[in-house]
Amino acid sequence: MEPDAQLIQSCLRGDGPAWEELVRRHTRRVYNLCYRFTGNGAAAEDLSQEVFLRVYKTLGSYQPVYGAFPTWLTSVTRNLLVDHYRRTRRDRITDSIDDAMPQLEETHSPVRSPDKMLQATELSEQLQQGLARLSPELREAVILRDLQELDYSEIRTVLQIPEGTVKSRINRGRIELARVLQEMGVRPA
Amino acid sequence: MAMNWNCTTTEERLTDYLDGVLTPEEAAGFSAHKAGCAACAKMVADVSALVSQMQRIEPLEVPVHLPVRILDATLGPRKQALDWRRWFDWVDVIWQPRFGMGAATVAASFAVLFHAFAPVGKKVTLADLNPAAVVRTANRQAHLTYAHGVKFVNDLRVVYEIESRLGPQPARITPVSEPETPQTSHPSPSSNDPHQKSQAVPHTDRREASSEGLLAFAEANRWPDDSTTRSRP
Repeated sequence: MEPDAQLIQSCLRGDGPAWEELVRRHTRRVYNLCYRFTGNGAAAEDLSQEVFLRVYKTLGSYQPVYGAFPTWLTSVTRNLLVDHYRRTRRDRITDSIDDAMPQLEETHSPVRSPDKMLQATELSEQLQQGLARLSPELREAVILRDLQELDYSEIRTVLQIPEGTVKSRINRGRIELARVLQEMGVRPA
Repeated sequence: MAMNWNCTTTEERLTDYLDGVLTPEEAAGFSAHKAGCAACAKMVADVSALVSQMQRIEPLEVPVHLPVRILDATLGPRKQALDWRRWFDWVDVIWQPRFGMGAATVAASFAVLFHAFAPVGKKVTLADLNPAAVVRTANRQAHLTYAHGVKFVNDLRVVYEIESRLGPQPARITPVSEPETPQTSHPSPSSNDPHQKSQAVPHTDRREASSEGLLAFAEANRWPDDSTTRSRP
């Protein structure tokens, strides 16, 4: 398999198939991060598209010294997720009832929800509901560490915070998530 | 130097404990506190189970149209390179258990129909697929099925009883005495005297009785023949 760096060089020369390969290789990572953060399939698709649009426009600014391409891509995704969170904050505050149980609404929704066809287990859905009840800072830390399986230095790069803070957030996020799941009657085996 | 572990310390160092990066002294203090504090022991067990479970969760599959959508948004609508894939999007829709069960049921129904109507006992040739041949085979099969049904019904004892009562019965059924002049080796009672024969119809020869009754019925209800009609003025 051609390394990401070579694909990027080809993309910068205007090679369409190289860009297609890059998109297909990393769509899953971006989509999963977006879905786990938003808990909404349609929003995750829109955000994934937005991420790749931004990457397409700013690919020339990527330098390998900043880290591996997946880490850079995760940073771009995370920044867009923060923007998305800010944009939708007003909606969440206004719609306080839905905000109290956002995932219940999502669970019964729609055709576009990927859960109906793709989400593997009931635990995965319950976990998604639990994640939605964490603060954004704790949520992103847990997602990056336990679902995206980034190491601490990668997370530090993505979040632009000291490694100690990364560990602290992961720690608090896990404890909070375990407590939330217990309140929901879920007990991880 | 031994650290003074309490619930707050245990909570703060939980990730280090799970990562296995505590020093031996810290690990000993952590374990000692956990052993004496039920709340912390439960918290450690819950978080440990949660972390291991999260790491076993498979990443979600990407919706099939998403990469195409992204490529369309970045490279613009492209030529036919990817369009053929869209022709098979319906596969993802029907590839679900509920549709699978439906398809299996339909396949089973066709198998039963084929088994019932297909030519049996020989290889299927092109000639068998001729509509006329199919109709002929189906017709033959239907008649055979009907004949088997009729035979089955006729063989029922209750039917025989009804037929025996409806048909023309002899005035009195007498047991068959020894035939005076047996003409044949047939075991059924027989006689050269037609009158005696009619009286001696036993229940076991129900087909004969039945056919006689039918003949009598037909005789009584037959249409006048042409000669009779023509003889009328």
